[in-house]
Amino acid sequence: MSKSSNAYNAGIMQKHGKAFADEYFAEDNQVVHESHEVVLVLKKSDELNTVVEEILLGSHKADNPTLVVEDRAGFWWLKATGKIEIDCVEVSELLGKHYSVYDLLVDVSSTIGRAYTLGETFTITSELMGLDVKLKDLAAA
Amino acid sequence: MAISTATKAATDALAANPAPVSVGAQEVHRWMQSFTWDFDKNRTKYSTKYKMANDTKEQFKLIAKEYARMESVKDERQFGSLQDVLTRVDAANRVHPKWNESMKVISNFLEVGEYNAIAATGMLWDSATAPEQKNGYLGQVLDEIRHTNQCAYINYYFAKQGQDAAGHNDARRTRAIGPLWKGMKRVFSDGFISGDAVECSINLQLVGEACFTNPLIVAVTEWASANGDEMTPTVFLSIETDELRHMANGYQTVVSIANDEAASKYLNTDLNNAFWTQQKYFTPVLGMMFEYGSHFKVEPWVKTWNRWVYEDWGGIWIGRLGKYGVESPRSLRDAKKDAYWAHHDLFLIAYALWPTGFFRLSLPTQEEAEWYEANYPGWYDMYGKVYDEWRARGCEDPSSGFLPIQWFIENNHPIYIDRVSQVPFCPSYCKGESTLRVLEYNGKKHSFSDQWGERMWLSEPERYECQNIFEQYEGRELSEVIAEGFGVRSDGKTLISQPHTNKDGKLWTLDDIKKINCVFSDPLKAL
Repeated sequence: MSKSSNAYNAGIMQKHGKAFADEYFAEDNQVVHESHEVVLVLKKSDELNTVVEEILLGSHKADNPTLVVEDRAGFWWLKATGKIEIDCVEVSELLGKHYSVYDLLVDVSSTIGRAYTLGETFTITSELMGLDVKLKDLAAA
Repeated sequence: MAISTATKAATDALAANPAPVSVGAQEVHRWMQSFTWDFDKNRTKYSTKYKMANDTKEQFKLIAKEYARMESVKDERQFGSLQDVLTRVDAANRVHPKWNESMKVISNFLEVGEYNAIAATGMLWDSATAPEQKNGYLGQVLDEIRHTNQCAYINYYFAKQGQDAAGHNDARRTRAIGPLWKGMKRVFSDGFISGDAVECSINLQLVGEACFTNPLIVAVTEWASANGDEMTPTVFLSIETDELRHMANGYQTVVSIANDEAASKYLNTDLNNAFWTQQKYFTPVLGMMFEYGSHFKVEPWVKTWNRWVYEDWGGIWIGRLGKYGVESPRSLRDAKKDAYWAHHDLFLIAYALWPTGFFRLSLPTQEEAEWYEANYPGWYDMYGKVYDEWRARGCEDPSSGFLPIQWFIENNHPIYIDRVSQVPFCPSYCKGESTLRVLEYNGKKHSFSDQWGERMWLSEPERYECQNIFEQYEGRELSEVIAEGFGVRSDGKTLISQPHTNKDGKLWTLDDIKKINCVFSDPLKAL
């Protein structure tokens, strides 16, 4: 089990019974607290298992030490601080077939954060796209 | 021959904006922007007090071709799995009987929500003025049609391939008598399609989808898998692959009004009302379905709620918007209390009213009672001992002559229906955030369970005139009402709902209910 603060059962979720209730009902926890984390839910599939195991937890693991990936039966649950990016050109090379960002979206089940595509890259970020940061279109050739 | 005006306009536009040489989807998307679609002076039938900006984006840059291809692949994978391997391994008969009953509720109710979301997003398409925002909403209209079919299909699949089809195949006909239906229509219908267009978007997209679809459509698949159900993850996780665009639509709706003066006046109230409206139903109903409708428990519902609703939706969506004036919902404290206790309160009432349902319920076993007490200290003294008493009085046995509703009557614990949410509550026997409030309007009494619904009602009482079952069937005998409301199976006498999931247990019939002579009475008349 991951000990990261981004883990599925981090923090208060490790507590049980009265200890959980005491923290859950604590005065400080009666309002929302701003979070710079992002959550991604990936439906398990041939391609997405490869993305998770070979890229996010493989070749790119060092890129984002805050990233936690957990197996939740039918889906992969991912949480990271800041952002998670998936480059589908790289996924295509690994899979040995054309795999566009829209192929990726076939199995991206949920997002908490601002998700967007640009070219063949999928990004989910804690940034406020459209408010703090402009959403970009593909640059003209 | 002269060409038509439309053909000439298209020809001129193409001459000014030559089609890209490549057909990369996002190049096509960029090229289409050069047509400068102008909806700035858009006229809409569905007005809003907010001014939606004209430059809002759609975050995934979808064009119709990629959208259609993507959705086609999703359907191929989903239906391929269901019709091939899941049928071959007899997956529907591997589901735990308790969970089979939960899916009658979850999938039938979600179908109604998806159906109403078609209308909701059509309305938003009409209201928006930004071309890309319209594009996002249009994609969502099509998604919701797909989801409606998916939800119907999973019930069809369970009914055809699985166990105890009653309730999977004919749930909607019980909608007049089932006490959970009207509350579901409040969140899944009225909240999405009635009133101010942006307020509907906040209900549907910013709260309903960005917040509650995560427990309802994602976390539910963990419970399904744990209880032997591999159909639900196949379908629901596919539904959710569209929801991320819907969440983005909701976020972009907020972006589109962020600089409007009206936002500083109304947004926090609208957000709070939407949050309370959605949580008031989803929090107890989902908690009840997960915990009381399963044999194998994944985790306490309050932890699921704390993760997906409080920490992640609250912190990542709402918390991050704080600098734009978005506040923590004022009803959050009460919602958190509900997340801990309200599903236990609701199950007590749901079990007491079981003959009016379209699914089977079962009392917690000894092992489950220990789990509840370990995770919700104080559970046994409030709920467990009542279930022990009901069981001892033979509540599962048709020959016992005992319906748990009698316990509420004997102990002077009247059950009311909250006028705004339509959720039943028992103010004298509950631990969730419910207290009785009664107001009169146009010669009629109205009960409320909380200040938040009461405030919404006070601002527009005409909106909440739905009769509840106690008013509708006042003075009527229960078996008559069940028969009239189609609460029986195909033999015309056995109830769809039952107070147990034991395959070998005796099933209650209309005659068993009639012998008890239970008559509906409206508790508001006694006040």
